[in-house]
Amino acid sequence: MTIWTLALNTLNGFLRNKILILFALLFLGMLLLMLSPILLMKAMKNAGSPAQAQNMIFGLISGVMTFATAFGSFISIWAAADTVSREMKSGTILAVMARPIRRWEYLLGKYLGVQMLMVLYVALMLILSYVLAAIAGETIFSSPIVLIVYPLVRYAIYSAMSLLLVTWLHPFVAMGVTIVIGILAHAATAQGLQFLPEWMRAPLVYVLPSTNLLSEVQFLTLTRTSLKPAPIGDHLTALAYGLDYAAILFLLAAWAFRKRRLTGD
Amino acid sequence: MSAAIELDNVVATYRNGLFGGGSKIQALNGISLELRSGEVFAFLGPNGAGKTTTINILMGFLFPDSGTVRVMGYPPGDVRAKRQIGFLPENFAFYGYLTGEQLLRFHIRLAGPQKLPGDAVIPEMLAKVKLDGYPGLKIGKFSRGMVQRIGLAQALMHDPQLIILDEPTSGLDPVGRKEVRELILSLKAQGKTVFLSSHILSEVEQVCDRIAIVEKGSLKQMGAVKDLLNQASLIEIVVDQLPPELETDLIAQSATVTRLENCVKLTIPSEQKREVLERLWTAGCDLISLNARKSSLEDLFLQLVGEGHPE
Repeated sequence: MTIWTLALNTLNGFLRNKILILFALLFLGMLLLMLSPILLMKAMKNAGSPAQAQNMIFGLISGVMTFATAFGSFISIWAAADTVSREMKSGTILAVMARPIRRWEYLLGKYLGVQMLMVLYVALMLILSYVLAAIAGETIFSSPIVLIVYPLVRYAIYSAMSLLLVTWLHPFVAMGVTIVIGILAHAATAQGLQFLPEWMRAPLVYVLPSTNLLSEVQFLTLTRTSLKPAPIGDHLTALAYGLDYAAILFLLAAWAFRKRRLTGD
Repeated sequence: MSAAIELDNVVATYRNGLFGGGSKIQALNGISLELRSGEVFAFLGPNGAGKTTTINILMGFLFPDSGTVRVMGYPPGDVRAKRQIGFLPENFAFYGYLTGEQLLRFHIRLAGPQKLPGDAVIPEMLAKVKLDGYPGLKIGKFSRGMVQRIGLAQALMHDPQLIILDEPTSGLDPVGRKEVRELILSLKAQGKTVFLSSHILSEVEQVCDRIAIVEKGSLKQMGAVKDLLNQASLIEIVVDQLPPELETDLIAQSATVTRLENCVKLTIPSEQKREVLERLWTAGCDLISLNARKSSLEDLFLQLVGEGHPE
């Protein structure tokens, strides 16, 4: 009940956050710009080269979704870094923590609030992708579950990492460090760190979460509008791997937060 | 009577810099005090004396470097203690997107099932703090005084045993301050324990049983208000004239000398009464009047903390 109340209030605060509203408007503007090439490709399809036009349409939608996924990672990192530090800076945390709430309960409420925001974001992005495809006269034959769950697990990891780092660091620094770790994790598992010696690369591959394993792309190829067949066990293993990372990072954040000064003075 | 608050030799330090590796500021320097159940206790001191730090430690927002703290018999921050506490922070901050009613509902949910008073208490609390006429107004649009009132409502709505108020009359007009005074007296009549910090010494004098004066993190004075005021009482002596050399001596002895048109007024601590009178008599001064002047809390505060401070 208490955690749920905190989570809902956190979401409520996000939906009224001016920075977030500005981000959303910018993003919407960019997506509207995408309409022109999509309509152009639709015209091409009608003009007699349907296969080529279809590939281009799905390529464009795939690009939009990749951008949306990366932008989602940024929002999850920002929201987690901002939500607690903003309350400590403004002092709203004091009246809340005067209630019979344990510190880990407060942090979990905030964390769930961030996840609720990300669920909303992923749902909106998914709807938008389907709408863009429909405008182009195409249908996306992929599993919405895969498109929803995998990004959410990645966002859960990034936001837990950001929540942990903001316990010690200034929110901007915590965001920056989380973004760097995210890029390193992607590079390490995508064989992008081959230039590093093995003794440096191996720990990064083992310690950082594998964003490749947690990528929906390994299960579907949107450009071919097909879903690669994968047994449910593979999905469960990959998701358990990601949730394990998120849970450990959140527990570390809760441990660090238990002795954190709650006042800004 | 059991102690509602116990502080024993509490030391607290603020550290600046990354991971606390920078310079240190001593906020509390061995504070010890005990607050008995059912009493109204005021914590006074100039800005930066350590009042809010002490309150933050009591609430579990900060941790002392050493010393023991118990609140309602539990360590600070323990949920069993917090269930019994109503707290108003200094400069109460709020979620500006909520209305007063929504904020109270939010705090009722946070109070948890053990102390859930139900939503029925909300209109009653809003009426009590005179905010029942603003049903759709967001707190972001409230005046400073209205914010303070809604802060008081959230602190009191679950009928707490211990009420901790950090500057409760801050931002209130004289009528609002009077209402808060009456509220504290009514809480006292109900047997509640009140711990408050305030800058308005005349109000403290009217409502508090005991006070503690703190400066630079150390306790300067603690006791019952009436005992402390009796200790600090003054005598006003009016004489026909005062030789300059005696005036210099008396000023050095902490007397205040005011030269009037046909006489001289001296204000001295009561314990110096006999000695000063004998010296005046020896110097040939004629006594016109002698009156006891009841000392105020402000006089006591200024004696202890010095006139250089703003409060």
